[in-house]
Amino acid sequence: MSVKIAICQLSSCWGCQESLLDLYEKLVPILPSLDIKYWPTVVDTKKGSLEETPKAGIDVSLVEGMCRTESDVELLELAREKSKLLIAYGTCSSYGGIPGLANMFARDELLRRKFIEAESITEGTIPTVNLPEIAPRVVKNDQIVKMDLILTGCPPTTNNVAKVVTALLQGQTPTLESKSVCDECNREKEEKIQIKEFKRNFVGKADPKKCLLSQGYLCMGPGTRAGCEAQCPSANTPCSGCYGPADGVLDHGARLMSAVSSVVDMPPEKLLESIKDVVGTFYKFTLPSALIPLSLESVKRR
Amino acid sequence: MESTESTAKNEIEIEPVTRLEGHGKVTIVLSKGKVKDVQFNVTAVRFFEKFLEGRRAEDAPIITPRICGICPQPHHLASIKAVEGAWGVTPPPAASKLRELMLLGKMIQSHTLHFYALAAPDFVVGPFADTSARNVVTIAKHLPDVVTKALELMRHGQELAGLVGGKPIHPVTAIPGGMSKPLIEKDRDDWLKKMERIMELAEFTASLGLKVVESYWDVITRIGVVETYYIGLASQGVHNFYEGTIRVMSPKGKIEADFSPKDYLDFVGEHAVPHCYVTHLYYKPAGYPDGIWRANTLARINVVDRMAMPRAQELLKDFRSKVGRPCHATFAYHWARLIELIESVERARQLLEDPQIVSQDIKVEDVQPRQGNGVGCVEAPRGTLIHNYWTDEKGIITKANLIVATNNNVGAIEKCLQHVAKQCIEEKAHEKVKFPTPMIKV
Repeated sequence: MSVKIAICQLSSCWGCQESLLDLYEKLVPILPSLDIKYWPTVVDTKKGSLEETPKAGIDVSLVEGMCRTESDVELLELAREKSKLLIAYGTCSSYGGIPGLANMFARDELLRRKFIEAESITEGTIPTVNLPEIAPRVVKNDQIVKMDLILTGCPPTTNNVAKVVTALLQGQTPTLESKSVCDECNREKEEKIQIKEFKRNFVGKADPKKCLLSQGYLCMGPGTRAGCEAQCPSANTPCSGCYGPADGVLDHGARLMSAVSSVVDMPPEKLLESIKDVVGTFYKFTLPSALIPLSLESVKRR
Repeated sequence: MESTESTAKNEIEIEPVTRLEGHGKVTIVLSKGKVKDVQFNVTAVRFFEKFLEGRRAEDAPIITPRICGICPQPHHLASIKAVEGAWGVTPPPAASKLRELMLLGKMIQSHTLHFYALAAPDFVVGPFADTSARNVVTIAKHLPDVVTKALELMRHGQELAGLVGGKPIHPVTAIPGGMSKPLIEKDRDDWLKKMERIMELAEFTASLGLKVVESYWDVITRIGVVETYYIGLASQGVHNFYEGTIRVMSPKGKIEADFSPKDYLDFVGEHAVPHCYVTHLYYKPAGYPDGIWRANTLARINVVDRMAMPRAQELLKDFRSKVGRPCHATFAYHWARLIELIESVERARQLLEDPQIVSQDIKVEDVQPRQGNGVGCVEAPRGTLIHNYWTDEKGIITKANLIVATNNNVGAIEKCLQHVAKQCIEEKAHEKVKFPTPMIKV
């Protein structure tokens, strides 16, 4: 029996779909069991193909990306209406992702920088013809429609995808890791960490065996959901938090800040100076789902 | 790519354009059987240029790969070069070699993916087959051995990029001053062993591609032949994805400019158009729209004097003997892609054979952030990619300007669509050229 699927891309980079394609030879036995109703990046399905599908006529839809334009919102709502199971696929879809950092600026500032002020622009104009309107800010997808499941990661690893696909084809509900990146990381941890100054990633050479945080590198491992098999610490670079928060955590940045605060030994001003970019560090992947999901300064500037 | 929908306004709207990464639609306006206007509307934009402001510069190589999930490695590398340029840092030679190896892994994967999954269905299943059948899934059903080989080749490329980059998608190992981890000897040995198989798969792909070229000769040489400028990186005139100077070739085939990436603002113009969230890039001295250029495989093949590797050079000679230089045939992009696929495999093998590739000297220790302006440039699979950052004395980005690879092609894509729309709608050219019997009949 075939499973009716749709893979929808809102504003995003395609990396989550790439991670699915990265199953490579393992895709060959899976493909015949899929009845692809909509997947424009791979098959020539048009918007109409999705519109013509009956309500709840698709078994599983994966939605990659976040809503940057009004047509993203339309596609998300359409996917919801047509799907029995709607999965937020990847960190943009689950939390807003890196492009959610645009919430630090007013829409007009974003448009002006890109289309008027950029140094290489010779004739500037803000495009408006035959184009979907830009949303004032990025709002988390599940505040627009109900998502049935999230599969986080930027992107979710191919192993994550394989587990989910296998579970779905067997009629089971996939589950996410509930541990933190530190639980998957093989580096030697220290009992008590006391950091007097944070090091930026280019300072010195990181010891490849010891916990990066204990060496003073800002690692987001303690407050970030596992599932990636600690890929970045394994490559001798700190975790930047791309899987978002663990279950039950409302605000990833707040969770990361409290994790980091518990290991520092420095006054608040020095801590701030040491970090330099609080939002970009702690909310790199989740600003639209923060309790304060935008820069209040940018609201004032509007 | 068609599947059209007529509206009362006598418009053809193709939405979304399919089998590509990104969001776009094509709007064709007709009047009495004539093509009045063709727009290529790119409908998505995420504003990376703006939200890089205020970020620590070393975060840019982590943030900007998220511009593109097919080609995150070029962003990672153009970004790190921009940061190092702004701070006056030179990484050790082994670090540069590892970075190039990461890029080549991606080229192998992306070129293979593009050929089999994005392009081949139009040729192998044929342009007149039902749209629901014109995809790689159909090819998988009818030619499972071919698709299995394609998937294997893609996997090797992606795994190589992932090994060096720490992650196959959105790499992390390039940090200011070098690389965060070396290539260990055991991995190098394993990959050297694999290279023979990878070359075999690449040669298989090239020979299959050349068969397609031969059978579609009439189409390739008569449909979508559009004269433009071309832009691409070259090192002393030799093909190079990773470093060199930027060459611009005129439609007549003259090298008009050959400049250091840091001087890009003298040569690269961005013309914002009202109907597209991507600007049209062009050769500034020639003005807009005359200076519209193309990047990506065919452009690189046009601007270079020769390929760097012997087998690829043989293929280039054959290419030029048949279509000349410059070649303006848009469909020849796929052919040029095959030449570059072979070059990527040959060059990756050469780097793996270089003893320095397993050096432990991959990161300079003393890296100091400073106020500066840095430009980083590499070739992405789909064209010349430039990152330009301004940093303050603490190494925080104060301004960013990005010339994204595909962006180079958007003006030319529209120009080409206008040409083809006229050819097909007004002149019925597709009824006059010779099409082969498709390899797969559905």
